[in-house]
Amino acid sequence: MDIKVLGTGCANCRTTIALIEQVAQAKGVSVNLQKVEELRAIMSYGVMLTPGVVIDGKVVHAGGVPGRDKIEQWLVAKQT
Amino acid sequence: MLNEAKEVCPTTTLRMSRGGALLVDVRERDEIDGLAFDVPELAVIPMSEFERRCAELPRDRDLVMVCRVGERSLKATYFLMYQGYTRVANMEGGIAKWARKGFPVKGNASAAIASAATGCCGGAAPAKSTGGESTSVAGENCCAPHPKPARACC
Repeated sequence: MDIKVLGTGCANCRTTIALIEQVAQAKGVSVNLQKVEELRAIMSYGVMLTPGVVIDGKVVHAGGVPGRDKIEQWLVAKQT
Repeated sequence: MLNEAKEVCPTTTLRMSRGGALLVDVRERDEIDGLAFDVPELAVIPMSEFERRCAELPRDRDLVMVCRVGERSLKATYFLMYQGYTRVANMEGGIAKWARKGFPVKGNASAAIASAATGCCGGAAPAKSTGGESTSVAGENCCAPHPKPARACC
């Protein structure tokens, strides 16, 4: 599963990455996690508010740190 | 991936404005209350409202996005490009550079001038408030449009 976290390196972006890593590890899900920090690349997804999260090419979240439960839903949904 | 945004300097922006381009200020209203661009036509769509309201902007004329230092407006420029706008450019340096060059503003330009980062156009006369310019547009070409690394905070 390819997951991209869109953000220019602020604390919320770093927290989002760490949280996804934690949840993936806890759930035993293998993810390919990437940071996207360049503004042009971020805006290519049409995301105005960061952090944004893109899973397998689809924007699933924009603005603020996603909740742990939300991340779990993403990972479980992609597994099934 | 989007193409690099077109970036223009304040001198080119002033020329474009006089030639019919629409300046779009994406600063918040309290910022604009303190210091505003004094140009023939200006649209105000703060970043906090931009995603909801950007469709108000015309697609059939040149748009120049502006803010305080050119970072928020660059983000807005890319968002419009994502939405399919083709006649859009970002003014690098924002109103800080614009005011430092002595281009027309309404309000007190001193704070903006003080916060202006060093640029290629040093030595310009201070801005005049409300109307008039102290700097000639013709013959200045130090700020030709150029792509630059783009970063902005979230």
